[in-house]
Amino acid sequence: MRALLNRKHWPLWVVLILIALALILPAILPWTYDQIDWDAVRAPAFSGSHIFGTDEIGRDRLARLAAGTQVTLMVAIAAALVSLIVGIAWGATAGWMGGKVDEAMMRFVDALYALPFMFIVILLMVIFGRSILLVFIGIGLVEWLTMARVVRGQVMALKERPFILAAEASGTSSLMIILKHILPNIAGVALAYLMLTVPQVVMVESFLSFLGLGVQEPLTSLGILVKEGADDMDMTPLGLLLPGGLLVLLLVCLTIEGERLRDIYS
Amino acid sequence: MSLYEIRDMAIQIDGRQLVEGVNISVETGKCTAIIGESGSGKSLSCLTPFGLTPGAALGSIKLDGIVLTGADADQMRKARSQLTGFVFQQPLTALTPHLTIGAQLQEAAAQAGPARLSRNELAEKLKRVGLSRADERLDQFPHRLSGGERQRVMIAAAIAHRPKLLIADEPTSALDASLRGEIMALLDELREEQGLAMLLVSHDLASMEGHSDDLIVMDQGRVVESGPTADVIANPQKDYTKRLIAATPHLNEPAPDLPSVGDTLMDTEAVTVQFPRPGWRRGKILAVSDASLMVREGESLAIVGGSGSGKSTLGRAIAGIGPLTSGSINWQGENLPERRARSLAMRRLIQPVFQDPVASLDPQWKISDIIAEPLNNLRPDILRNEREEMIKKALDDVGLGIEYLTRAPTSLSGGQAQRVAIARAIIAGPKLLVLDEATSALDPLVGSSILELLAQLQRDQGLSIIFITHDIASARRICHRIAVLDDGEIVEMDDMAAVISNPQAETTKKLIAAS
Amino acid sequence: MTAIPTLLAIILVSFFLMRLAPGGPFDGERPLPPETQAALQTAYGLDKPLWEQAWLYVSRLVQGDFGPSLVYRDFTVSELVAQGLPISLTLGGLAILLALLIGISAGLFAAVRAGKVADKTIMMLATVATALPTFVTGPALALFFGLWLGLLPVSGTGEGFSWLIMPVVALALPVSGAIAKLTRAGLATVLKQDHIRTARARGLSETKILFKHGLRPALVPVASYLGPAAAGLLTGAVVVETVFGLPGLGRYFVQGALNRDYPLVLGVVTLYAALIISFNLFADLIYGWLDPRMREG
Repeated sequence: MRALLNRKHWPLWVVLILIALALILPAILPWTYDQIDWDAVRAPAFSGSHIFGTDEIGRDRLARLAAGTQVTLMVAIAAALVSLIVGIAWGATAGWMGGKVDEAMMRFVDALYALPFMFIVILLMVIFGRSILLVFIGIGLVEWLTMARVVRGQVMALKERPFILAAEASGTSSLMIILKHILPNIAGVALAYLMLTVPQVVMVESFLSFLGLGVQEPLTSLGILVKEGADDMDMTPLGLLLPGGLLVLLLVCLTIEGERLRDIYS
Repeated sequence: MSLYEIRDMAIQIDGRQLVEGVNISVETGKCTAIIGESGSGKSLSCLTPFGLTPGAALGSIKLDGIVLTGADADQMRKARSQLTGFVFQQPLTALTPHLTIGAQLQEAAAQAGPARLSRNELAEKLKRVGLSRADERLDQFPHRLSGGERQRVMIAAAIAHRPKLLIADEPTSALDASLRGEIMALLDELREEQGLAMLLVSHDLASMEGHSDDLIVMDQGRVVESGPTADVIANPQKDYTKRLIAATPHLNEPAPDLPSVGDTLMDTEAVTVQFPRPGWRRGKILAVSDASLMVREGESLAIVGGSGSGKSTLGRAIAGIGPLTSGSINWQGENLPERRARSLAMRRLIQPVFQDPVASLDPQWKISDIIAEPLNNLRPDILRNEREEMIKKALDDVGLGIEYLTRAPTSLSGGQAQRVAIARAIIAGPKLLVLDEATSALDPLVGSSILELLAQLQRDQGLSIIFITHDIASARRICHRIAVLDDGEIVEMDDMAAVISNPQAETTKKLIAAS
Repeated sequence: MTAIPTLLAIILVSFFLMRLAPGGPFDGERPLPPETQAALQTAYGLDKPLWEQAWLYVSRLVQGDFGPSLVYRDFTVSELVAQGLPISLTLGGLAILLALLIGISAGLFAAVRAGKVADKTIMMLATVATALPTFVTGPALALFFGLWLGLLPVSGTGEGFSWLIMPVVALALPVSGAIAKLTRAGLATVLKQDHIRTARARGLSETKILFKHGLRPALVPVASYLGPAAAGLLTGAVVVETVFGLPGLGRYFVQGALNRDYPLVLGVVTLYAALIISFNLFADLIYGWLDPRMREG
């Protein structure tokens, strides 16, 4: 834990501070994200109680940013966890079984990789209607592929290590070998890729929301805010620049931190 | 005046002095060998003067009248390209994967001047180093060639520009035992034919005898002893050299005194192991076929063969940690099934030890937990408080103190890690140890101390041992009998002394020559 | 060799998914009389058994017939696609070329300067670039260079090539960042390998070592990234075409998706899949050239 206080981990701190703000602000701001201030449409920054002004129908920008960040990160973390669980289960099984089972399971992953997955997600949205649940099921189901590949590679390499053979000779059962020798040894890499999956998911969710296929009104997300800002940018550029900048900041910090973890563990 | 002369050289990397007070001289047509364990600074001393390591070499270094100390990058490059040829340890990775053999040879030949060689001339050079179908090879990429063939290409490339000095850094260490003799003979031949001065680096004293004129023994960045090779070996002056010579197994050393043996403990009948070919293709790879052997109580059997001979696969099948396609493995007449079908009582009988000691220990576990693992699974009858005593005793048996209990595997040296692995193997009271190249990855002094430990376990605990190795001389130190494996088949099996004095199979002869 | 079956599988899965969907394009705000419903169903072949519809669809597809568009009633899907494909291909092709050019040279430069300020700066910029979503950079570029500076057209194809600049840059930025990182990491690994020491021992110049012995194996990770990059560019193109009002495939896809125009969506997905798959085949060829060991399976 103390290692996290190191100055090198500033990206993680930025993310944590942003999360804290997103959670706290809605409670203390005088406006909610969907509340319309009829007296202040397209208000500039620092006008009255609107720190970042209001949007084209008079909703407080800061409140909307906080709410959007909440939704975006919630979807991202949930979907990343789905991908972690599915990816580890799939990858560890393939890697441990080896042979034809591994071959078949990884062919399946390869085939899914080759799919234009964003279009499949969109296809699902079109068919089953647009719901937030579907957004992250769809994303989670796609993002587990990388995790499965990484975990499978690690398990394959570990399986050949003599300490696994020695454990087998020591009478340790396969299940216990996986739980006590394999999983602890892949935990670091899995954590790093979990960290890298989060920005991926943020990107996908925002992309879908931007196209109007993701999170639906009255809920909001960073993607929706960028979309609204882009539509109104000739009138109020701040509406685009604020959520856009926030999104990029989140993505950059998460990526840097994830890559650092990955480099440590692999 | 020698062709290559180093006086009082020191080598620094990042301000740390890693080598000091080194003198080396190599004369035209002669070979000087540097010998030392890993970390002795032998490779560093060889490569740093030519700017091939991150270090800086200080002192007086002269090659053919040119001063190399403090030379700028251009002069250094010239010294490398015109006067010197290099052969490295890893033939598998030392050639550029995306350039053909011909292109790389051409590049090597062109380093001294702009002249391009004709295809015939290039092919001639490959023939000279003993490669068949030379013309065809020119168009091949390195991955199509075997390790031995690639090392020949490396040698051809190293001398293609007719250098005056050839530097060979562990040229045979990565090669199969049966090939080592051939490559050393080739180097000798070329040295004589082309009047090359040769600087040879190795960790293996045995492989230098008969090939080098002068010998330099290095330890911890310093020269321990140097002089004519025959003198140093026959009459070593320094304690370190004496220990090194004693630690290096030799076929002509006096036969060891081995404990007497009892009745048959384990025997195999026609053991065959096949692997499916990778991918969806049909067909099988036959790794071991029809291997029948036996081990008596208190007896040690060496299983010897080159890489790919199936010796490890056979060992794993016996230890119950690898597949068994057909045939049977019997324990005092009772059949042992394959792999996971073995009961805990059966698993207790046979325990394995592996080549790479560091990879043998789970990096996430403490030493005490690692040693306790077999005890917890295989000896549920033993009470908790007794277990702790047994762990301490096992550590003591392998010559480690109890302070190791709480240490992490990553903090151990290779020798210490191998001792922990042996402690884990013996704690549950096995009758037979299967050691797969258990000393090959270790430095000679450490390796020989592990051999001594095994001999002690043999005597004190009456353990039987299957000692899998490519090195007959090491095996001879602890083994009663020997089985030679080639291409998955046992080609020869007899008492150790009989096989060494009168080898029958071609493989055995090659392996003996390499020892 | 798996290309054709993969493509067929994608088409069939998409086809059946589409037919599973509740509701259809004719569910307007005001319900149509049942007779009209039935007539429309028959006209579009929606009353036949599913497998027969699928067979019909695939067999027409082979002849280049993607069926009629349900929303753009005056056009067939083939016509829409024929109009959109060149625009999307131009965007995607230029973007990947630009990304390769910027990415490889930046990665190379950083690797040569390993550990120095230039290296760290380039790598930081590359990380930022990979985190730039097209739906942020697209509008932001349009805001700066279009609305504020008035240098480039904000919407439509217009005259000359200036309309291409912003969409292509927005598309290429994240890909070029990723390529720069891969090139840098690949070179860092390769330059430590034994064969580089061999080349150095031969007295070759550092430039020659870098380009002749180092670069090709270092680009292997870049080649394996090309497949995903192509997929990323196509999805990015959907946004960029929407943002800059370009009549490419992506815009038809979004319109089709929002309006449940099944034949249109299906047609575009099929085409996308074919593009990505052929691009992956192309990447395999590059693979073999970069590293001969990969030529044998």
